[in-house]
Amino acid sequence: MVSEFVFATVQYESGDWDSAPLVPANLIDSVARYTSIPVSPTGVIVPLSSPDLMRYPLVYLTGHLPVRLSDAERRSLARYLDRGGMLFVDDHNHDVDGQFHKTVTDEIRRAAGPLVELPNTHPLYTTFFHFDDGPPTTSQELNGWGDNLVHRHLMAVVRGGRIVVLYSNKDYSSEWGYHPENKRFLSVDNTRLGVNIVVYALTR
Amino acid sequence: MVAQNGLAVALAAWTAAPPADTLHVHVDHVLDGQERDWLRALSSAGTTVSWSARSTLPALALEVQPRDDPMGGVTARVAAPRSARVQVGDAASPIDSMVLDARGGAITVPIASQPLSVRVGSSQATAASADSLLARRVVVLGRGGWEGKFVIAALEERGWLVDARLAVAPGIDVTQGTPEMLDTSRVAAVIALDSAADRDASRIGAFVRSGGGLVLEPEAAGRPAFVGLAAGGVARRERPASITVADAAPRRALAMSAIAPLHAGAVAIEWRDGRVAAAARRVGAGRVIQLAYDESWRWRMSGGEGSMEAHRRWWTQVVGAAAYQAFAHTATSSATDAAPLASLYAALGAPRPALDAGATAERHGLHLWMIFALGAMLLAEWGSRRLRGAP
Repeated sequence: MVSEFVFATVQYESGDWDSAPLVPANLIDSVARYTSIPVSPTGVIVPLSSPDLMRYPLVYLTGHLPVRLSDAERRSLARYLDRGGMLFVDDHNHDVDGQFHKTVTDEIRRAAGPLVELPNTHPLYTTFFHFDDGPPTTSQELNGWGDNLVHRHLMAVVRGGRIVVLYSNKDYSSEWGYHPENKRFLSVDNTRLGVNIVVYALTR
Repeated sequence: MVAQNGLAVALAAWTAAPPADTLHVHVDHVLDGQERDWLRALSSAGTTVSWSARSTLPALALEVQPRDDPMGGVTARVAAPRSARVQVGDAASPIDSMVLDARGGAITVPIASQPLSVRVGSSQATAASADSLLARRVVVLGRGGWEGKFVIAALEERGWLVDARLAVAPGIDVTQGTPEMLDTSRVAAVIALDSAADRDASRIGAFVRSGGGLVLEPEAAGRPAFVGLAAGGVARRERPASITVADAAPRRALAMSAIAPLHAGAVAIEWRDGRVAAAARRVGAGRVIQLAYDESWRWRMSGGEGSMEAHRRWWTQVVGAAAYQAFAHTATSSATDAAPLASLYAALGAPRPALDAGATAERHGLHLWMIFALGAMLLAEWGSRRLRGAP
C-alpha cells in the first residue's frame, strides 16, 4: 500500500480556521476525479503547533478573523516550511483591507518571508490544467464583495524556485465551498486550480 | 649510522665526502621520499647502499578516491598493521583517527585540502586523488507523490542534477528535464519508485547492463517488469508501531518491505531487526540497489534535528553506490608518498640483517685504525732516525 495524499486543513488557535468546511471534500473529489494520484477519501484537521503537521506536506489555511499565531504555532510553521512543506492560504474575506489579510500576511512574513506577486506564467498554472491568464476569477470578485477588486495574481513565498507559501485574496474558500455532487451544474469545474495546487505540491 | 632526526644532515655529509664503497643505514622510522631518493642517488653514483631497521616498521598505505557526491570530498582507504591507531589529516590539521582491523579501513572526508596524510607512530603516508568524478544526472521515475517530490528535493539540495517524470493521470506526466534519455554518457543512475516506471523497464534494463545504476523502491522492485533486475523479493509491508520518526535512528521508524529472498549474486548492505533493508546486485556492467523503504520523505519531514541533511546524505550514498562513475584524470602531486615502506623496498631492496651493518661499521673502523697505525709507524720511524742522527 503506497502512501496516499491526505488533504489537511490547518487549525490555529485564533480566528475561525473552520470557516470553509466543504472545501476539503470538494478538492478531494476533484483530485480523485481528474488524476491518478492515490488520495484519501477524507481530509484531516491538523493543529498548526502539532508534530502531526509534518505528516501532511501540503496544508490549507483560511478564515475571516484576525490570525495571531502563538509562539509554538510560529515555530512549528517555520520548521514545516523549512523542511519542505507547502502552505496554501486563502483569504475568505476577499478583502485586502480585512483583518484576516493584514494579520495572516504578517504571520507569513515572520515565518517565511515577504509575499511577492506570482507571475501568471508560473508552472503552477500549467502543471495539470492550463490557466493562460493566471488564477481564475471567482464569483465573489465579480459580485463586488469584499474589496471589490479582481485580483490578477496570487502571491507567494518562493524558495529555491519552489513555492513554499501560496496566498490568495480571491476567496476560493467561498468559490469551492459546495458539495462535490453539485459540480454537475457547472459548465466548467471551478475547482480545477485546486487540482493544480495539489499536483504542484506533490511534484515540485 | 643509526638514523635519528638528522638523517638528511648525515646524508649531505656522505654526499660531500669522498665516494665510499658501501653505505648501510640503520633506521628507526620509515624513510620519507627525500631520504629514499637521496640514498637511491648515492646508489646510482656507485655506493652500495643497504638498510636495516631497529624494529619492525609499520607497513602503511593510503589510497584517496573522489566520493560520488556533488558536495565533493574524498574517501581515504588505509592499510596499516592490525589494531594500529591511524591519524588522518590534511595540510591544515588532523581530521580524524581510527583503529584498523585486519581488513584495513576507510574514512570519508567531506571537506579537505589534498593531499591527505595518515600517520601511524612516526610513519606517514601521503596521497591525493588522481581522478575527479564527472557530473552525471539522476533520473527519478514514479507517480506524483511525496516520496518522489522529496527524493528529488534531497538530491537537488545535495547538488545532483535531476531529471524526473512523475505520472499524475493517465497520459499526463509532470516532467523535469529529459528523463527519457537514458544512457551512461549523461545519466549516472535511475530511481524507479513504483509501477509508473514499468513502461521504461526495458530501457532501464539496457541502461543498467551497459553500466548504469538503478535504485528500486519496493513497489517497483515487486513489479514483474523489474524482476530480472531486482536484488530480491519484496516481503509484506510493515510499519513499526512504537517508534516515532523523530527518534535518533529514523529509518527504524519507516514502513519497510523487507527484501527476501535475496536473488543469487545479491548482497545485503543494510539490515533492520534481522531483515534486509537494502541489497545490492550486479547486472551486466551496472549495479542495482534495492531498498525496503518507500516513505523516506517522512524521515525528512518528521525526523529530529539534522534529519533533512541526513536524508540528503543517505540518498546520495544510495545513488552513489549504484551510480555509473565516470572519472577524469587529474594531475597527481609529486609531493605524495602513498606507501612509504613499499617504496623503500622498491628503492633499496629488502633490509639486510643488522649483523651486516655491524660488519660494515667494523670495516670502516678497520680502515681508520690502519691509517692511524701507519701514521704511528711513520712517526716512530722518523723519531728513530732523529735519535740515531740519521738524515
